[in-house]
Amino acid sequence: MALPRLTGALRSFSNVTKQDDYSEESGDLMNKRSKLHKQLMSSELTWKKIVKFVEDSLDKKEQQSVNGHLTTILQAAKQIVGTENGQEAIESGAVFLFKTFHMKECVGHDETKAIKQMFGPFPSSSATAACNATCRIASYFTEEQLTALIRIAEEQNGDNRVFFGKNIVFSFDMHDLDHSEELPINGEAAEQKTISLDY
Amino acid sequence: MPVLPLDELQLTETDPKTGKLRTLPALHPEMKADQSFVLYKPPPKVRDPALVEEFLERAKFIADDLNWLLALPHDKFWCQVIFDETLQKCLDSYLCHAPRKFDASFDFPPEVNDMQKCLHQSVFLTFLRMSTHKESKEHFITPSVFGEILYNNFLFDIPKILDLCALFGKGNGTLLQKMIENIFTQQSSYFSDLNETVPTILQVFNNVLQECGLQCDGASAKPQKLEERVKVTPSAMPLQALKDIVLYLCDTCTTLWAFLDVFPLACQTFQKHDFCYRLASFYELAIPELESAIKRRTCEDKSLLADLWRRLSHSRKKVVEIFHILINQICLQPILESSYENIQPFIEEFLQIFTSVLQERRFLCDYDELFPVADDVSLLQQASSALDDTRTAYILQAVESAWEGVERRKTPVVKSPP
Repeated sequence: MALPRLTGALRSFSNVTKQDDYSEESGDLMNKRSKLHKQLMSSELTWKKIVKFVEDSLDKKEQQSVNGHLTTILQAAKQIVGTENGQEAIESGAVFLFKTFHMKECVGHDETKAIKQMFGPFPSSSATAACNATCRIASYFTEEQLTALIRIAEEQNGDNRVFFGKNIVFSFDMHDLDHSEELPINGEAAEQKTISLDY
Repeated sequence: MPVLPLDELQLTETDPKTGKLRTLPALHPEMKADQSFVLYKPPPKVRDPALVEEFLERAKFIADDLNWLLALPHDKFWCQVIFDETLQKCLDSYLCHAPRKFDASFDFPPEVNDMQKCLHQSVFLTFLRMSTHKESKEHFITPSVFGEILYNNFLFDIPKILDLCALFGKGNGTLLQKMIENIFTQQSSYFSDLNETVPTILQVFNNVLQECGLQCDGASAKPQKLEERVKVTPSAMPLQALKDIVLYLCDTCTTLWAFLDVFPLACQTFQKHDFCYRLASFYELAIPELESAIKRRTCEDKSLLADLWRRLSHSRKKVVEIFHILINQICLQPILESSYENIQPFIEEFLQIFTSVLQERRFLCDYDELFPVADDVSLLQQASSALDDTRTAYILQAVESAWEGVERRKTPVVKSPP
């Protein structure tokens, strides 16, 4: 239950606030998840671009080996996203897995959470397979090459823009209860008579 | 070529529907991105992994979205702030539900604390950007239009400003002061809103008195209706009801104090409603009754009672400090800052306020203990040779007499050597 607050009373009983209706917001988390899915589908970095990047950067022999790993990622994405969502969704899922694991060596807590947040519950073996395959692909490239590839998506999301307030010193200190005297143990202590057992 | 303010700027872009070029004002609903901010919910009080996970997911969405917002260019930021209702609701939900440090303390897992910190900073920076009308030489809004934008879209309102002070006033007080002063300077309607809010704040104090079955203005004049439930005194009410009252009082006093501490210019508006007298009168009725109700309970949860006592003591101190901020801002500061011929109205106000609270003996003692009345009277005497000594002597005598009526002794104020 929400704590009783002065501002709660002011929001309810004064006429200086906008009376918002929050009843429609019960499904906001579901809506947000589906919106993220859509954003993922319209990402600038596509699976085709990843495949082309590999083809353009490696010789034939290396390509053959890397193609197998790309197929593994795609299959893992199929397991995680589900076939019912179509090829486009699977490829978007594969891009997401590639972005998630391109600098990682194993499936950690953060990666598990990110995948679960995006797709819901998923088989961990698929995530591990995708992670291993991505690691092997990444080993053919320098960090700079991979960063340049991933940045295609980040530029679209504005991740490299200047962040307002980045130079502001922010304090996490908050108002706390003032130090005060302790509760007198039994307020009527002074009035209590001493009971003597010395009969 | 002069740089235009954002509110006069027009942008030419391709219409996504027709493919033709079109010109729109920079502040236009169609310039808003479809982002969908989610509402903030506080961390779960129990260590249920599913609830913790849901909290983290929700909080991460908000933190990411606010970071995205803060990285937007000036025009896009303002379009989002003005036209995205989900963002406004998200920010409001944070102000309403974010845990205060003076709330009952909960032992949250480290990842929850980290996420909460991240969110706390992003929310503050968002409000900071929203209260800034000039970001740079090229990026600004006409001050009067800025005031209208804030007010007409409820980007700030009085409860939100109070929440901001309660949440950020301690560590970021200087910045917050600048933000709130700018808001009130650019939009004087906020002073009118504050004036309209003060009666509701007074009603909150009255409600506490009514819940405690204590008399208050007007209520005592009406006979109790037969079907009305009999009011229970704090000593007789269930512990949970007493706890609710003390928590409400604690939040009310701390929030009010935090606001006046950051924005003392609000004091004049409060005093238009005779706030000093109403506050002292409330204190006199409620505090001894609540203290006694906690002390008398000997057979109940000891740690809860100790917590309630701590909160009540804190609330007492905050009421006294609020009264002092008001006196300082309305009377003492103007006396110190005005020329000799202009100080008389402020001296008169001081004398009137103290004369009005002389019958509130418990309040007077507690106030005098923290802020000795004799010191203020001495200041008055130094400032004006025409001071009515009879009136000041009467006030000081009443303070002395109030001390005689209480059990504890006045702590002598030890002044450090010069």
